[in-house]
Amino acid sequence: MSQDHFQEDQETDQYTKQVIENGLSRRSFLSRAAGGAAAAGLFGLSSLPVAAAGTSEPKGLDFAKSSDGGATLSFLPKPKPIRDREIAETLTFDVVVVGAGASGVPAALSAAENGAKVAVIQKAPFALSQGNTGSGVDLATSEKAGIEALVARLIADSNHRCNPKLIRQWAYNSGEAVRWVIDRARQGGSPVVDQGSPVQRAILKVNGYSMGYVTSFFGPKPYTTGDGMRHLAKTAEKAGVRFFYRMPAVQLVQNKAGEVLGVIAKGPNGKFTKFLAKKGVILATGDYQNNKAMSDYFVPDVKHLERKQLDKTGDGFAMAYWAGGVFEPIGHTKMLHDFDAGPASMCDMPFLAVDRKGRRFVNETVEMSLLNNYLRDAENAGHYSQIFDSNYMTQAAAWPGKLVPPEGLKNYMPDDPSPKKGVFESQVNTHVADTIEELAVKIEADPATLAATVRRYNEVVASGKDSDFGKPADRLIPVVKAPFYGIHRRVRVSAICSGMLVNENHQALNADGKPIKGLFLIGNLGGGFYGGVDYPLTVFGLSLGRCYTFGYLTGRHVAKL
Amino acid sequence: MKRSIVPKPATALLALLLVTLSGSGLAAAGKAAKGARTSKHAGQGITCAQCHGKSAKKDVVPMQQCLSCHGDTKDLAVRTAKVKPTNPHENRHFGTEADCNRCHHEHATSENLCLPCHQRFGFKVP
Repeated sequence: MSQDHFQEDQETDQYTKQVIENGLSRRSFLSRAAGGAAAAGLFGLSSLPVAAAGTSEPKGLDFAKSSDGGATLSFLPKPKPIRDREIAETLTFDVVVVGAGASGVPAALSAAENGAKVAVIQKAPFALSQGNTGSGVDLATSEKAGIEALVARLIADSNHRCNPKLIRQWAYNSGEAVRWVIDRARQGGSPVVDQGSPVQRAILKVNGYSMGYVTSFFGPKPYTTGDGMRHLAKTAEKAGVRFFYRMPAVQLVQNKAGEVLGVIAKGPNGKFTKFLAKKGVILATGDYQNNKAMSDYFVPDVKHLERKQLDKTGDGFAMAYWAGGVFEPIGHTKMLHDFDAGPASMCDMPFLAVDRKGRRFVNETVEMSLLNNYLRDAENAGHYSQIFDSNYMTQAAAWPGKLVPPEGLKNYMPDDPSPKKGVFESQVNTHVADTIEELAVKIEADPATLAATVRRYNEVVASGKDSDFGKPADRLIPVVKAPFYGIHRRVRVSAICSGMLVNENHQALNADGKPIKGLFLIGNLGGGFYGGVDYPLTVFGLSLGRCYTFGYLTGRHVAKL
Repeated sequence: MKRSIVPKPATALLALLLVTLSGSGLAAAGKAAKGARTSKHAGQGITCAQCHGKSAKKDVVPMQQCLSCHGDTKDLAVRTAKVKPTNPHENRHFGTEADCNRCHHEHATSENLCLPCHQRFGFKVP
């Protein structure tokens, strides 16, 4: 991409320009190299490590190059074209959706409701998703200034690195989309409910302006949005959508002009099926957290952190890249939580927190969603514990969040024989013990270290000033009265939520900023919606809400082409 | 090196014998023998070709191949329904369709795919 081109195209927004300049695409390196002096300027600005070219490049294979052209990216091998004689069957639809998740299933149903003949191809044996809550803005009960204030808040949450147009698109369309998902999932048998505004209590006023929300809740656990999408898929089947399970997409079908005509998938029998899409292919393949090399390259921060998902190998990223798409620049946004080990409502409460060994490591007013940044090393690998004593119900009563009484904590204790309800039984990890040393054993910390940490913490508390980490005095409560409690959390990667460059129709853009005909990207594969270090928890359920909304809009858009 | 030196059908034992007799020169036979040495099926009179086919290019064995002898995974899930703490063959990630090879490896030590996330699912995987 030459500088001249930017000057010619006044319509290209700042976000798009930035991604084209610094992101990773098949053509960015070539066109920069051809750009002469302007390109040299870009090279100078690049902060990517430049590996010696070709040092570890396997012979005879073509690989992607880093955006400065210096490094060979072994995780993006050029796909070997599948010849027509290898194709066992060719099927033709208007719209082909790849991936049956929280954006793919809504996209398919939305396209079908708008008259399209739709196929969904899915790697797994059924629709899959994670989490419970997906949110939207209720326009009827929100002030316009409030919506804009929320948009500004979300842009700030993303460290001002997102595409504001996409945030606005979510804000103004999500209420309708989330309501639609609730209605259609119920038709498929889902117990989903709209929790409305009360669950969004921290953002009922934004900058003083009133807001209302539509908050879909697929739950309680073990029922999740995965079950919800399976119910929604039933509605989609009734609407004529054909689902092809255990059919991973292998490569896109493109003509010489670069238009995407369809996608080739591999069935469980090892045979290829070509799905032609008259109107467009919508990739909704999710993130790439289980593709180690791709993760290490784009989000090295999570190198040692555990993954929550399986088989999220970034297939759609590779396909879109080779079709001419552009990865958002390095430094992708990550989402790491643990709402399962103990009550979710206590996860941000500023109890004493200790790392895996038992050392205090942070001013505990830092939210759980950010703690991964302190625990990125191989030893901690996202593990930490919240520690409190039996006075917690009274001493922490004024803190934000919601305390669960001792009887309720038993629901999160693997060692307690009580039957578990509304939790993932295999993930609960809350413990109680009569001494700090016994508690340390249960939370898998070092007893002597934890005992020393608690002693020191109690000194700090007694002094009334946190001279170690500066936590506010009203967040200091001692750990002195047995029994002692520990919630051993381990934040793991729920999602990586940066993606590839799209416009407001969620159509993939190439390195010239031009739409790639026939190719649409939604869900966590779609770029531009985040950009910060971590996924923001401002709007509870933003991630799924965005997936539903962009699936709903994109399915409709492509069906009407 | 031509693949034709691999006896067809090659029993594991024969392949092993061949490579022993002929030294290190026979790469193809050596490869077959290595596979046979690590194979858990080899001792039961099952040949390489029964899973891998006879083609010179040895493709990844699809799961269907496992099922052709071991039967449907739904039946397997019924047989392990009472395994504690949970039925490994029917789960929320794959239903009854998990690829056998994700846990049960033919040429390597088997692994417990559940364990990294579900730390109390301490299955022993044959």
